[in-house]
Amino acid sequence: MKPNERLGRQVSTWLAVLMSAVIALLALPVHAAPQVLSATLNPSEITIGHTALLTITTLGSNADDVLLPFVGGLEFRTVSQSRRVDTATGATRTTLVVRVTPQMAATFSIPPLAANLGPLTLTVDPDRLVVDASPLPHKTAPPRVVPRAMADGGIQLMADGAAFVRLGIPRRQAYVGENIPIEIEVGGRAGAVTSLNGLPTLIGGDFTLDNLSRQPERAIRSIDGRQFTVLIWHSVIAPVKQGVFPFSVEVPLTVKFSTRPKAEARFDALMGDPFLQNYFGPTVTKEVKISSPRAELTVLALPTENRPADFSGAVGTFAISSELSAVEAAAGDPLNLRLHVTGSGNFDRVDAAMLGSLPGWKTYPPRSSFKESDTLGDKGEKIFEQTLIASRPGVQTLPALAFSFFDPSTGRYATVRSAPLTVTIAKSLADTSLTAPASGAVAGVADGSAAGAASGDAPAAGMRPDHVLSASSADSLRPPYLRAPFLATYSLLSVGFSAAYLRMRRRATQARRVAPRTGRRAAKAIAQTRAQLQAAAAQSPQAFFASARRTLQTTLAALWQLSPEEINVQAIDVRLGAAGRELRELFELADEVRYSGRAPSAADYSRWTQVVVNQLNGEGAA
Amino acid sequence: MIKCYGLGAVMLAIVVLAAGARAQSVTAAGFSAEGLYNLANSYDRAGKPGMAILNYERARLLAPNDPDIDANLQAVRLASGLPAEQPAWFERAATLIRPAVAAWLGVLGLLVVGVSALCGLRTMQLAWLRRVGLLLGLLLIGSTVANGLVLWPRLQRAIVLVTGTPVRATPAPLGESLFTLPEGATVTMLGEHQDFVFVQIKPETRGWVARARIATVVP
Repeated sequence: MKPNERLGRQVSTWLAVLMSAVIALLALPVHAAPQVLSATLNPSEITIGHTALLTITTLGSNADDVLLPFVGGLEFRTVSQSRRVDTATGATRTTLVVRVTPQMAATFSIPPLAANLGPLTLTVDPDRLVVDASPLPHKTAPPRVVPRAMADGGIQLMADGAAFVRLGIPRRQAYVGENIPIEIEVGGRAGAVTSLNGLPTLIGGDFTLDNLSRQPERAIRSIDGRQFTVLIWHSVIAPVKQGVFPFSVEVPLTVKFSTRPKAEARFDALMGDPFLQNYFGPTVTKEVKISSPRAELTVLALPTENRPADFSGAVGTFAISSELSAVEAAAGDPLNLRLHVTGSGNFDRVDAAMLGSLPGWKTYPPRSSFKESDTLGDKGEKIFEQTLIASRPGVQTLPALAFSFFDPSTGRYATVRSAPLTVTIAKSLADTSLTAPASGAVAGVADGSAAGAASGDAPAAGMRPDHVLSASSADSLRPPYLRAPFLATYSLLSVGFSAAYLRMRRRATQARRVAPRTGRRAAKAIAQTRAQLQAAAAQSPQAFFASARRTLQTTLAALWQLSPEEINVQAIDVRLGAAGRELRELFELADEVRYSGRAPSAADYSRWTQVVVNQLNGEGAA
Repeated sequence: MIKCYGLGAVMLAIVVLAAGARAQSVTAAGFSAEGLYNLANSYDRAGKPGMAILNYERARLLAPNDPDIDANLQAVRLASGLPAEQPAWFERAATLIRPAVAAWLGVLGLLVVGVSALCGLRTMQLAWLRRVGLLLGLLLIGSTVANGLVLWPRLQRAIVLVTGTPVRATPAPLGESLFTLPEGATVTMLGEHQDFVFVQIKPETRGWVARARIATVVP
């Protein structure tokens, strides 16, 4: 061998060794998994609706890379992380606290997190306050929940081994209306799957994927020695009819396929890292849809036997409790009755039918809110709030509230009840406003009969002292003139006076109508009177004045509704006063002429004739 | 003339006797201005300004011209941070007489006016006396009407008894709360719906208040 050839061989050998070392380094996982020192679960036995804490201690500071276990029916969520540096050794220990939330009642086995650790067991019991002791609707045993076992537990690699889809459902029979938690895993080999082109969709089964978690969980899984990035979605399906429903999940992906012959693909395995595999071999990118193995779900109808009358379609495991906003209140004050329904199941069928009307209470329509404790809305707390107003004072008891549901884990209906609530209702403030305050100085009360002496307490600063009570009192604070007796008095007086006034006015008017004052008849009457007076004047002064007096008496008697004999000087004075001066003179002159025999002049005859005619015309004093 | 006024006197006597008999029958149980005033003082001493203001307002209905009631009412209102009331001259003048007296003055005024009008139809004598009678009667009736005009708004009032009472936009316990009223605040009732009263606080400020949190001045 020539020296140049030997040197070339040595260089080639060193280059091969160097390259192998580089390849070996590159083939190592980018992040080495941290060393788990311990893992504890506390408590190991809980009831549904509660959580346990999984405490993981690792060596090193990269506890984020701890791969949390996957257990169907359990939800793991990191809640805190703390680091501690050992000053003696300089080593860093990280403690990770993970909250473990069960989604169903069962006994779960959490696989060991490290080779030196054993598996952990978590027992979850159903939580019920009161369970209806009705017999089982089915003679057969209820379907048993097997949380970890999936319909098709094996992983089936697709797209030339680049990806897989796995559908996890509880392997048991389900009931119509029940929320069935499912888990969808989509795994892609690093470097082979370039993108996820859509969310998983259900194929067949007449189900829809509701409440699909927006952000899938991420995990790294090794399958056949290859690293897969796994995206995990959680969702629930709710069957609406009975039957056997096969279904699967489909996901659109973009995958890089190698165009090298399969015989050469063994070298790819040696490369380890996908980057190097792609570097050394040409690939083609394709958009594909991969599906999970077909699963099958048997859905049973809800039994009609022993179905409670108040069953509204709620299927799951629930517990209820109630509380009042106050244990003491005044009549008329609104109280808030809060009903909590906790557990897991189809909360959309949990309604407020149990909050109906209550005797002795005014109830308002309840409103509800839902606080989910998982991302699927399958577990949480539904709160109904109802406003109540007590109408009667005293100690009132709100009866226990009952809620019925179908428990799929037992296969029977259950009724849970809340405890009765007691509240003390005092009289309303308005009702007690006329009684003396319970504490402090007691003065006279409003009741006039009970009003005692004024309080002897000294008045507060700036306040005027109490008054001495008087004997007078009123039966109402409303002013008397607005009350019925006085209103009746006013009305009677007004109507009475008005009626009397109108009657007298009418009689006076009628009286005036009796004397013809206008028109041809009046003129004729006046002419006759003139003729009579002239004839009497020609006869004698006594005859003239007697005629004039008689005419006036007749006229005024008709006007004043008196007899003619009552019309004299006094009556004229009373009725007419000063206005009746001429009539008075005429009456006095008539008496004088009658007894003295005095003869008046012609002018006097004319004047007195005109006075009489004026009276007949209505132009006189009366 | 004498007959006319004699008739009026007889009618007045009948009315007085009838009303007196009724008054005798209602004095067994009732309200007195002094009792309500003393009750309001005791509530003030007990630290309940809402109840105190309520009973001062009630006492003021029976004795609107009592200076002690007014003084203590204003003092409690000021101590509670509520604005003081400044009555107008017309209000002061119209409430110089108690409503009970005003009611009788109204009766008397009607009698005087009626008798004067009837006498005017019967005789022409003493026309000046009839005119004076008419004027006097109308004045008496006017005093009663003025008293009623002043007191009528007070009859529609209610007092807030619980501090922080919410005024809501709708008559529902969970209705939107517009603002809150302090204890002792005075509101005017405009209407009611179930357990709520529609009240007016200022000319442009209205809302619904729970009935249990207020008390009407006229119980």
